[in-house]
Parts: sequence; structure tokens; C-alpha cells
Amino acid sequence: MIKLVQVLYKKEMLDASRDKRSVMAGLYYAIGAPIVMCLLFTILLKQLSSPEALEITVENSDAAPSLVSYLEGFDISHGKEGSAKAITLIIDEDYEQDMSQGRSARVTIVADKSDNKLIKSVRRLEAALARYNSEVAGLRLISRGIDPSIMRAINVQTHDQATPDSKGGMFLGIATLSIIIALFYSAMNLAIDTSAGERERNSLALLLSHPLSSTQIVLAKVAAIASYSMIGLVLVLIVSKFAYGMVPWEQLGFSINLDVMFILFCTLIGIPIALMSASLLVFVSFMAKSFKEAQSYVAFVLFVPIGLSMMTTYDIATDYVQWIPIAAQQYAMIEVIKGNELPLMQVILSSFGTLALFAIFTMLSSRMLKSEKVVFGL
Amino acid sequence: MIEVTDLEKKIGSVQALDKLSFRADDGKITGLLGPNGAGKTTCLRTVFGLLQADSGFAKIDNIDVAVEPMRAKQQLGLFPDPCGLYERLTPREYIQFFAELSGMEKQQAISATSNVLEKLQMGDIADRKSQGFSQGQRMKTALAQAIVHQPTNIILDEPTRGLDVMSTRILRDLLLMLKEQGHCVLFSSHVMQEVAALCDHVVVMASGKVVAEGSPQALCEQTQKETLEEAFIALIGSDEGLAA
Repeated sequence: MIKLVQVLYKKEMLDASRDKRSVMAGLYYAIGAPIVMCLLFTILLKQLSSPEALEITVENSDAAPSLVSYLEGFDISHGKEGSAKAITLIIDEDYEQDMSQGRSARVTIVADKSDNKLIKSVRRLEAALARYNSEVAGLRLISRGIDPSIMRAINVQTHDQATPDSKGGMFLGIATLSIIIALFYSAMNLAIDTSAGERERNSLALLLSHPLSSTQIVLAKVAAIASYSMIGLVLVLIVSKFAYGMVPWEQLGFSINLDVMFILFCTLIGIPIALMSASLLVFVSFMAKSFKEAQSYVAFVLFVPIGLSMMTTYDIATDYVQWIPIAAQQYAMIEVIKGNELPLMQVILSSFGTLALFAIFTMLSSRMLKSEKVVFGL
Repeated sequence: MIEVTDLEKKIGSVQALDKLSFRADDGKITGLLGPNGAGKTTCLRTVFGLLQADSGFAKIDNIDVAVEPMRAKQQLGLFPDPCGLYERLTPREYIQFFAELSGMEKQQAISATSNVLEKLQMGDIADRKSQGFSQGQRMKTALAQAIVHQPTNIILDEPTRGLDVMSTRILRDLLLMLKEQGHCVLFSSHVMQEVAALCDHVVVMASGKVVAEGSPQALCEQTQKETLEEAFIALIGSDEGLAA
């Protein structure tokens, strides 16, 4: 029993290794994805850490030089027509006079507040003006011999409890997803070739006419596909380690650092996922009647890890999702990167769940191979 | 020995096999002769357990294929149509792989592979990838695969298609040698000369039924024709599907 699986496995590996181009096509993902992610993160981080300069139209700015320079301190300035946003700050004719006489000087913001793209900028301008207002008001109180803190009935203080690492939730979600996807993507071509392709080349019928069970055939195929998936995983981890090392994380105050322990941990929890994804891919490709049909179905399979990962990344129903295969492993990976305690229970249970799925898909595929409709694509 | 009794098989709306019964004995070459679409390949696939008969049974050395497929298949070698080659493997790797699948130990499989490669004069192509092989080279590789493990029963589906004269002769000698050694050889064909030259026993099939059987000689006498081809036409009642 085992010996025949070994013979079949060796042949699958040999056959696949000869098909260099499609093997490489799968592995390009493992090399390319972390590099693309690295570039993407660098750009995103730049945007997050330094808000863009806000250009608006300031009318009658000569009347309020100190306000204008105060706003410039918050990167809000008068811009040329074209580059400025559709926000106009009108400084009243009597602004200077009102100010010098200690009256309330009027400034008017003209903007379309229903425009979602503008609303953030309008709020930013309002906040800056409010701060200027309280600063000037404080100075006026002091000049009249009154403690400005009298104007602060409540002293609101916010303690930001976000540790630098937890701020990076989205980044971690994307980074770990790109690692898990490698398990599905690296051996996709191989999975189609060895199942739907084998049937199309008529060698499947020949194989089945030998004294071996369909389970042995499916197991050998799954093992070969999973082996290539694991190569993809190790590759993506190594490339990620170096690529993420080059992202300027310090701009945001946290970092994604993939150490050797993390790589080993991922490799270990990746084995059940590789077996599961391989058995799922084989099952789906045998379900299709032709090579082309299989290609379409296999592409759908990619939505499974992406969907589960979205739920982990955006914290949707985390209490339940963290127990589901793939999502649980990704959750654990994120926790490990953050340096939190490893959710051991989740990892163990979901790994068993993943293996159970592998067993189910393998069984279903080997059952399909007993059907003449599937074998001959009738 | 291969024995088929009352096989019935419907594929889609077509009654591919209709109460088909015949026997192929050890030490004889039995030819399954019929026009295109007569059900020859369906019959052979059923014997291999790849298709399940709706009723009736196929036995190999008295083992029912449907009941004990593993044991039955161990007694079989198959030369399929189409060949089912692995294009990225060399004939040596391909043949050795199937030898091991048929239950041979690795060392045994290696030497059996070398033997069969030599026997079929395949030395020049043995270590080249099958991609780009000519039809004849493909056929030889598939044939080597069918006989490498020396099964008692050898089934060949249209074995001479695409073979040149030299290869056909090699095949013929090989089948005769297998017969001498006491193997049971069953092959399907629609080429008269080949069947007439080789077969001890001919089973003529049309529309999933056995129309007549006997030695080529006996068939000619039965229909009072001079050649097997004429006898065949008289038996199936038309020349539909006859290829040169």
C-alpha cells in the first residue's frame, strides 16, 4: 500500500520537475508577492505618517497674517487655483479691527459638506481654527488677569492604548495573507496538470487499470502537490524576511520582523494547510470535465483563504473565526509577529480541522475516480 | 484466460455492449474484430474494470473483475488506445514506473525494463523524453509497458495503428512469442490482414454483439468466402467502418 504510493509520488515529483516552466510560473508568486507588498507598504506608510499638505483658497489673507502663518504650521495654506481644494476661507473685512479690539472676529468656511472627499479636509481646517481660537482666547484672558483654565470645565485627556504593533493590524493581515496564499498558488498549475491534465492525456485510465486503489493515486498526487506548495511557502517566507526588512516601519512606530522562529512556526503550521489545499485543488480539478474548466474552478478556490483572511484582518466575528481552519493559523501568525502569546488551543484544534478537511477531500476525490463518468469525462 | 459472459453496457443512449459473450484461451491469440463503433474498446475497458457492466461479468483466470479487481488486474497487461504516455518521462522511466505499479520490486523492475527495451529494439529512444515521439515510437513504449511485468493475460487495443512495416513485424513476432510462452493474448482490430495472419481465434463483433466466432479458416468456410475480409463483410452485413 505505502510502497505503491511512494512509487506514484516519485513519478509525480519527477514528472512535475520536468515541467519547469509551469513550476516556475507558480513559484514566481512566492518570489514576487513579498516584493510587491514591500513596495506597497512603503508607499502606504509614507501617506499615513505625513498627512498631505492641504491647499485651500484664503480670501483677504492680508487681514490676518498671524492666523495664516498659524495655519501654515498645520500644513494648511493658500494654494493656486487648480491645485487648491474646493474650500474657501473668507476672512472678514473687519477682522483686523475686531481682533485688535478684542471682539469676536469672523471667518467663514465655504465648502460642500456633503462631498465625502472634502469632509476630512474641512474637519482638519475647523480643528486648526478651533485651536487658534482657544489659544488667542487664552491670551486675552491672561491679559485681563484671569486664569485661562477657567474656560476648561472638563479636561479631556485621551490615553492612546494602541501599542505600536497593534496599529499595524492591516499590514499584518495583508502580509500574513500573502504568505498563506502561497500555499494555494504555488502548486495550482501542478494540481490541474496532474488531475484534469492526466485525464485529458488518457494516462489516468491506464493508471487505474493497474492493481492499485484510487485512494493511493489521490494520496500520491496530493502529497506531490503539497510538496511543491511547501517549497512555495518556504520561498515566500525567506523572501518576505528580507523584503519586509527594507520597509521603513519606524515611520509608524511598529515593525514586521520575521525571525527564524516565525519562519519555522509557519512552516510547521503550513503542512496541514498544504495538504488541505492540495486535496481541495485535486478534488476541484477532477470535478471539472476539462483542463480549461478546471482552471476556472481552481481560481475560485483562492477566494477561500482570501475571504477567511479578510475576516481575520478586519476583526469580523473574531471570536468564532479564530477557530476556523486557515483563519486560525493566520490569527496565530499575527499574534506571533506581534510578540503576543501563541493561541495554542486554536492552532492545535484548527490544524486538526484542516487535516480532517484534507481527509474528506481526499476521500471524495478517490471516490470520484471510481466513477467511469469522471475517469473518461463522459 | 479471459472470459466474458452476457456483458451489457449502455453508454448514454447507446447500447454499447449487448449480451456479449466470448472466451480467449491461454496459449492462443484471440482477435476482437469489428467495425468502428462496434464496442471493442468498451468491451476491453469493461474487462479491465474501468467500466462497470450493467449486467453480465468478465473473468480473468476465473477471477471476477467486478468482485476482486485488484487480484484480477494483477494478471493483466494493457496496451490502451490512446497510449496514455507521460510526455515528460523517458520510455525507461515510464516502463519501470508501471512495472513497479504492477507489483515488481525496484531492482526487478529495472532489469525487466532493460530486457523489454532490448527485445523491442528501443535502445536508441530509451532515454529520450517521449515528447515528440513518432506514432510508432509511442506504440512501442506503450507495448513495452503492457508486457514488462510478464502478465498471463495481455490485452491490446488496436495495437498496429501507426506502426511501420518493421515495427509491425516486431509486434507480430512478439505476440507469437507470447503465445508460445503460453500467455493469453486478446487484441482488438479492424485490420483484416493482421487478424488473419496472427489469430487462432477470431471474435467478430457488431453493435455490441458477437456475430460469429472461430478460426479465420472456419469463418471463411462458414460464409463460403475466400478471404477473411469478404467473410467479415458477409457477417456484419455491410462494409461500413472498414479501414484499410
